[in-house]
Amino acid sequence: MFSIEVIIDAITFSNLIIALAIGLTLTYMTLKVPNFAHGDTAVIGIYTAYTLTIMLGIHPYASMPIAFLLGGALSIITYILVYRVIGQKGGSITTLMIASIAVEVIIRSSLHIYADIMPKITSTFFRGFTFSKYDFSIPIGEATLPGVLIVSTLTITGIVVSLYLFLTRTKFGTAMRATIENPSLASTLGVDVEKVYLVSWFLAGGLAALSGIFLAFQIPSDPESGWGLLLRVFAASVLGGLDNIFGAVLGGAVIGFSEILGIYLLSKPPIGLSPAYRPAIPYLMFILVLLFAPKGITSINLKKLLGGEEKK
Amino acid sequence: MIDILRIIVDFTAFYSIYLMLSVSLNLEYGYTGIPNFGKVMFFAGGAFTVGAIAGRMLAPLAGIDLSKLDYCMNNVYVGSLVSRYLAQHAGLALAVFIALVIAGSLVGAFLGWLASYPSIRLREDYLGMTLVVSGELLRIVSLNYDPLVCGTFGAKTPNPFSFLSGFAMDFTRSAFMFTIAMLTWLIVGRLVKSPFGRLLKAIREEEEAAEALGKDVVKVRMKVLMLGSAIAGAAGALYAFYIGIVHPSDYAPLRTFIVWVMVIIGGAGNNLGAAVGALIYLFVDRTLAIAKTYMPVLPFDLNYLTYVFLGIILILVLIFKPEGLIPESLEVREEIREEASQ
Repeated sequence: MFSIEVIIDAITFSNLIIALAIGLTLTYMTLKVPNFAHGDTAVIGIYTAYTLTIMLGIHPYASMPIAFLLGGALSIITYILVYRVIGQKGGSITTLMIASIAVEVIIRSSLHIYADIMPKITSTFFRGFTFSKYDFSIPIGEATLPGVLIVSTLTITGIVVSLYLFLTRTKFGTAMRATIENPSLASTLGVDVEKVYLVSWFLAGGLAALSGIFLAFQIPSDPESGWGLLLRVFAASVLGGLDNIFGAVLGGAVIGFSEILGIYLLSKPPIGLSPAYRPAIPYLMFILVLLFAPKGITSINLKKLLGGEEKK
Repeated sequence: MIDILRIIVDFTAFYSIYLMLSVSLNLEYGYTGIPNFGKVMFFAGGAFTVGAIAGRMLAPLAGIDLSKLDYCMNNVYVGSLVSRYLAQHAGLALAVFIALVIAGSLVGAFLGWLASYPSIRLREDYLGMTLVVSGELLRIVSLNYDPLVCGTFGAKTPNPFSFLSGFAMDFTRSAFMFTIAMLTWLIVGRLVKSPFGRLLKAIREEEEAAEALGKDVVKVRMKVLMLGSAIAGAAGALYAFYIGIVHPSDYAPLRTFIVWVMVIIGGAGNNLGAAVGALIYLFVDRTLAIAKTYMPVLPFDLNYLTYVFLGIILILVLIFKPEGLIPESLEVREEIREEASQ
């Protein structure tokens, strides 16, 4: 039913959404605020890699660690300068959300300015570029596996596994889970809540910038790419329950696969929908999730759904 | 001299539109605490109503058979013929203008009901995200579904004031728009001072207390979102007529951000604040637009720099003066807190 190319596309795209959903969920758990600038942090990663490639000839994959550090640093700076200050002054969730939208607008507009200026310095275009010509590929039988499929899958698997080990096997990870569960109790037990928040924001921003690079291997990128990504990540995180990192992994996979496979099916006869409707799929799913399972996919009570007796 | 008058008349038209938007957001967020991050969707709803209906509805009157002509490919031509027809029928033109502004507000109200339905019972972060996502959904559909506003072509809107010309037309149009905006402002001002307005503030401050007193909080919030969206829809219809064309990409989320800047800077929870916030923003925006023509060529688009500054100002206001320039009076706030907790 689906060609191997479509499946490869779906896996690669899902990897990106998963990485972003993990980050969004991490920061959501600290302040209970959806970070609207999360998608733009991913674009920061794309522009970091692109600039390094154009100016110094560094391969986009090689700039992943630099993007990680830069995205993490930016994320921590916005946390310290904006969210923490407003939070300490007793700002409500809505106030924090407004601030987050302001941060989003600042980053996106700054990227636009950067994309306007850079072509004059480097005489290369800084909008609508892709990394696909830098990618390698591995032929297996009839199909060719693009490098981004392998690199992104390995990276995301590595991240999920190490995050799992970090959260369950290390002392700091346990402290982190305790803080997320109940910040005031964790604080009285001697956990440095502030440090946990800083680590969460750093990891979230770093992951976003690092995985953003994968997007540019698939589709042309520009400063507006982050906004569209953000709304898909909202869908994935809400589907995952917003307070569960492994729910975010599941949510990211469901949203990523639905979008790619969904538009593939819908754009073929007999429906023949224009592929431009592609983003409508995750957005509609977001609304459906809120209608039918507002606490996310992990909260769905299968027994009740199947008509069985609910155990109390 | 006439140039300055023209600038003032143009300013008044834009101010009328933004005043309605900031008044509606202030009603939703400032008074009731609803984080409407999808304001542009309701604005677009009103504008799309005009864009989708006006030309198609009036084309037969102007002697155009739409069954023989692709409307979207020829909508600029159709629009100008319709405008010419309306120039001969002033009464009909004004009736169409008023009717479509009302239709725009009804569509806005309907979208408000539709968008709030999945999430009005949930927490404000979910509601905020839902409204953003719904707004983008509408934009994607309108960009690709030609029968609405001709997708990427955009739809021309006829000029209902074409029975006048030159400055008289501009002046009359702005006067109409300003009257509608002022009426809205006054009505909302009365509403928020009424017992219903106190109920809104009670819901904002102590939702559980209001609920315990037997108030149907969900229903009230839905009503407010519908009313706010109706105002935004009317503003969208006015904008569509004023600009003369409805193009989906004009209804981007940045518009929502601008309205938030107005409300937060002006002072949330204060009807006067909404009016002042809109005035300040528009003054800066128009001044920059005029100054831009005299400035040396920058290596980037000045608009982006404006957005960076607006974002920074918004954050600074949220940190250092969260109550805005014209704060909600404290006694009223305390009074309501007491009333709600009793």
